[in-house]
Amino acid sequence: MMGEFIVRNLFHRPMRTLIGILAIAVEVALVVLVVGLVSGLLAETAKRIEGVGADIVLQPPAASVLLGFGGAPMPIKIGDKLKELKYVQYVAPTLLQSNSAESVEVIYGIDPESFRAVSGGFVFLAGHDIAGPNDILIDDWAAKAKHLKIGDTYALFNNDWHVVGIVEHGKGARVFVPITTLQDLVGAHDKASIFWIKCTRPEHTQDLMEGIRHILPGYTVRPIKDMLSIYTSTNIPGLKIFIDAMIALAVSIGLLVIFLTMYTTVIERTRDIGVLKSLGASSPFIVRTLLMESGLLCLGGIAMGVGLSYLLRGVSLKVFPTLSILITLAWILRSGIIALLGTIAGASYPAWVASRKDAVEALTFD
Amino acid sequence: MGIAATIRALQSALQSAEGQGFERRSVEPILKTENLWKLYHAGKVEVPALRGVNFEVQAGESVAVMGPSGCGKSSLLYVIGGLAQASRGRVLVDGNDLTEMRDSERTKLRRSKIGFVFQRFNLLPTLTAKGNIAIAQYIHGDGFDPHRFDVVTKMLGLDGRLAHKPSEMSGGEQQRVAIARAIINEPKILLADEPTGNLDTKNSEIVLEMLRRLNKDLGQTIVMITHNPEATTYFDRVVHMRDGVIVDGIPAD
Repeated sequence: MMGEFIVRNLFHRPMRTLIGILAIAVEVALVVLVVGLVSGLLAETAKRIEGVGADIVLQPPAASVLLGFGGAPMPIKIGDKLKELKYVQYVAPTLLQSNSAESVEVIYGIDPESFRAVSGGFVFLAGHDIAGPNDILIDDWAAKAKHLKIGDTYALFNNDWHVVGIVEHGKGARVFVPITTLQDLVGAHDKASIFWIKCTRPEHTQDLMEGIRHILPGYTVRPIKDMLSIYTSTNIPGLKIFIDAMIALAVSIGLLVIFLTMYTTVIERTRDIGVLKSLGASSPFIVRTLLMESGLLCLGGIAMGVGLSYLLRGVSLKVFPTLSILITLAWILRSGIIALLGTIAGASYPAWVASRKDAVEALTFD
Repeated sequence: MGIAATIRALQSALQSAEGQGFERRSVEPILKTENLWKLYHAGKVEVPALRGVNFEVQAGESVAVMGPSGCGKSSLLYVIGGLAQASRGRVLVDGNDLTEMRDSERTKLRRSKIGFVFQRFNLLPTLTAKGNIAIAQYIHGDGFDPHRFDVVTKMLGLDGRLAHKPSEMSGGEQQRVAIARAIINEPKILLADEPTGNLDTKNSEIVLEMLRRLNKDLGQTIVMITHNPEATTYFDRVVHMRDGVIVDGIPAD
């Protein structure tokens, strides 16, 4: 009986119900997509770093886990010192430079020979490796996003680059240029941002890290296999706050719309509330009825929100192929619980107002 | 359905109802007010709606309360029905003093002992006729009782209209649904606030006849407020109110 009553109430004002459901859907989609975008980008970046094939990455002292934001403060000669260490097989210096002309991306300035040695070489889908100072390699995702093909000219850092190779994605960056040209362009002669180090055997990683710390005290030495676990929102400065702020914003939208929806519902149904009271309905009964109605509305919103998330992810990936949005069941459930709690909070005051209405005034309400 | 046919159907249904669990009640005191006052506040001004009403209804009795607008009839109904709290005096419903009860206790008493019928029907617009009657059973706490539901709806000639919403029914049908809702839980007292006020003559007669039959055949205690002198002829007793007090109490005949 109550189920029928609640469902019929929701269908009585379909537009208002739809707006409520949409608000919850936006709330859920916002949470799922923001978290999914952050997690997806971090996981995808970590995976690409792992894909370089090195065992250890060396960064300057107190360097951020975000590889592209550390400048180029290390002399490239450090590489020679590293090569002298036991268990070192290959060392590849790389100059990292952020480019925000179209979207934020990190360009790798590489020494083709050493980078090939560490990474095992690129998988070429078209073209060939870097041969000249203005040659540029693009991975397949970036080529698709930037609409580039072999023979095209690509303007970057006030330089015209010749696209000579389209490579399979997953080797650190999406765009690779010769390190010497990039050093000249950014004024970082003989400098590198990071060193990729390949051990003679993976099980020597810890020993080699100790060795590096011994000769370069204070420098940041990280094992590559830990990158996936290091690349989380809690390890990136400010990212956790950003996600929390976005969740708070999403919850506020849902809460306020539900509050307004249920408040207008209560005003509109003042007489009905009086009728229920005349039939002997208690205050908890009235509160429960309105909360159940809000809850059902919220469930509809959650379902629509999940669908909306997948739809928007599909559209986003179509428009921005280099994006990575990771939608997980854990965050779908979490966003659902957040939406439900927000809904209960938003509907509580209108439900309380309804339960406190004077029965006689309610019955004579026009 | 014509009036005569409706009444015949009603009589038949009532006979059936008696045989299916609806008992006739013995005549005994069931409602009593003593020096009952109800004051409303308009800003800082106290407006007395009831000024010491002494009123008594026996179990199984039907009483019509008449009086001009603003004389306190509706206030009396709301206070004896437990919807409004008395300012002074006592209200005894089936031996329970409403004036000493908290709101939640009055709600509980109303749920089990009082049925309301209003001038504007006050059906829940989102529910069908069936839903409007069933929700009273649900609130009462016994859940849906299909047997009692069938008896009451047949008695009131509603069995063909149960799937319709209030907006799809005539005023007379809506009021019959409201009566069904009010009596579905067998309340001790049925309080009717001008139940024919929004009905045409034909439907008014049907509703009044139904109320009379409920009283005569099932022993349902009824207190009805009305402006219509003709409506009082269906009741055992008429009480006149003026300026918040009862001015007399005379037999209708």
